[in-house]
Order: sequence, then structure tokens, then C-alpha cells
Amino acid sequence: MSAKTLELETQLIERIVKQREERVARAEERASEIIKSAEEEVEKIKAESEKQILSIVGSELRAVSDRIVGGAELEGRKMMMLSRQELLSQVFDEAKTRLARIAEGKDESTDYGEVLVKLIIETATAIGGEEFIVSANENDLVYLKKNLRGIKKQVGDALGGGDIKLDDEPIDVMGGVVVRNSDGTKTFHNTLEGRLVNARGRVEAQVGKILEVI
Amino acid sequence: MGVERVISMGERLQRLLDEAEKEAEAMVADAEKRAEAMVSKTRADAERRRTMAQRGYGIDELLKEAEEKARKEAEKNLKGYKEKAETVKEVPKEKMEEAVALVLKEVLPE
Repeated sequence: MSAKTLELETQLIERIVKQREERVARAEERASEIIKSAEEEVEKIKAESEKQILSIVGSELRAVSDRIVGGAELEGRKMMMLSRQELLSQVFDEAKTRLARIAEGKDESTDYGEVLVKLIIETATAIGGEEFIVSANENDLVYLKKNLRGIKKQVGDALGGGDIKLDDEPIDVMGGVVVRNSDGTKTFHNTLEGRLVNARGRVEAQVGKILEVI
Repeated sequence: MGVERVISMGERLQRLLDEAEKEAEAMVADAEKRAEAMVSKTRADAERRRTMAQRGYGIDELLKEAEEKARKEAEKNLKGYKEKAETVKEVPKEKMEEAVALVLKEVLPE
């Protein structure tokens, strides 16, 4: 065999081997594309299926979410409400403490004697009539007895007449008065505790605004 | 002798190419078969799950997922409320004083 023939043979073999490799490589590439495309199709089908299932069971899933999230929402709102109430109570508790100090004469900024007289006048005006019997706590009774003449005058002036008498039996209140007419048909409670309770009903929202919790 | 040898080699090389062609075709056919099987199985699974869902079966996993998601959201919301609730209590002293003064003004007769 000549050298030339050998060379030709070698070239032929190399070309064929190259062609073979190219064919296999193309096939591998194509196979890979087919699988990739199928995988994409699978993902699409799965996504569509999940979507369909979600739409079918959507109401059940929403119910689960509503139950759990809604429950937490309620609990959270309750928590907020309790915090607001706690804060509001702190204000009214503090007011009560200060009222007690005022009633005990420990607050120099307020003339409690004057407060008592105003409460009696306010109450007597509400009841109407000529004669009133005033009940108060032990300390206030001492003050009222001591200053009865002056107080009677102030009340008389304010009402355009009328008389007050003191009930000797002290009542268990922080301060303020309970006034009844002479025949006992009308009684008006004008105690500090009562006024505080009434005030809470009236100004709670305003207090909330001041505290910026509403 | 030389010509025969070349022909013989040519045949063998052609066979090699033919085999490579068959191998390539088989490879693609196998991929197509696998792809079709994958897609068919997924379609069948999807259809089965859809049918089950319509009957109310096989949605436990979804419900579990929804519960878990909702629980996380609930925890997050509650945490937010707890923080807000704590913040609400942090009122400046002057605001408290203003509020107490308002109440006292309302309680005490003018």
C-alpha cells in the first residue's frame, strides 16, 4: 500500500468519525430540547392545575384564612381596646385620687368648702322647694355644722329663700352631698363619686382625644 | 487489491454512519417517549387532583398550607397589635395632666 493511499484512508476515517460525532451530538441536543420543553409543559400543567384547584377550593381556603387571621384580628383589636381602657381608667383613677385630696382639704388650689356649698345649691335647685336636708360624710358634716350660718345665707341668696338642715348621720362617701326635701319625696345624690361616674360618660371621648387613643 | 480494500473500508465506514444515525434516532425517540410520559403523567395527576378537589378530597395539603400561611399572617398581625397596644400606653405626662384636669373641671361645680 502506498503512502498516499494510507493518507487517504486516514482522512476518510477521520471525516466519518467526525460526522458520526456530529450526528450523535445533534441528537443529544435535540433530546435535551425535547426533555426541557416537556419539563416546561409539565410546570405549566401543574400551575394551571393548582390554579384550577385553588379556584375550586378557594372558598374553603378563604374560610381557613378568615378563621385564623380574623381571630387574631379580633384578639388584636381587643388588646388595643383594653390598652385604651386601661389608659382611660388611669386618668379617671388619678382624678378620683385628686378629688379625695380635695375633699380632705389637702389641695390648696381648690376651696372645698366652696365646692360643697355649690353642690348644695345645685342640688336644692334641682329638687325645688323651701326646706332641704343635707347628708354628707363625717368630715364634711363637721365643716357644714361649723359654717352652717354662712352656708344657709349663701343657699338662701342663691335660691331666693329656703332653709337647709343637716342630717346628723354621716354617709359613706368620698365627698359631696345627698340632699332631700323635707318630706323625703325627692332625693338628689350629688356626691363626688357620682359626679365622677357621670363625668366619665360625658368626657371619656374627649379624654381619649387628648391622649390620642381615639 | 487496493480498490477492494477501499471499497471494504467504505462499506464499514458507511455502516458506522448508519449505526450513528440509528443511535441518534433512538436517542431522540427515547427523549420524545420520556417527554410524552412526563406530560401525560402530569396531565393525569392534574386531572385526578382536580376531580378530587371537586369532590372535596385531597385538599388536605392545600388546607394545611393555607393554615400555615394564615397562622404566620395572624402572628405578624398580633405582634403589630401588641406593639401598638404598648405604644398607646406611652402617653406624655403633660397629656395625662391635661386629661385629668379636664375630668376634674367636669366633676367640680363651676
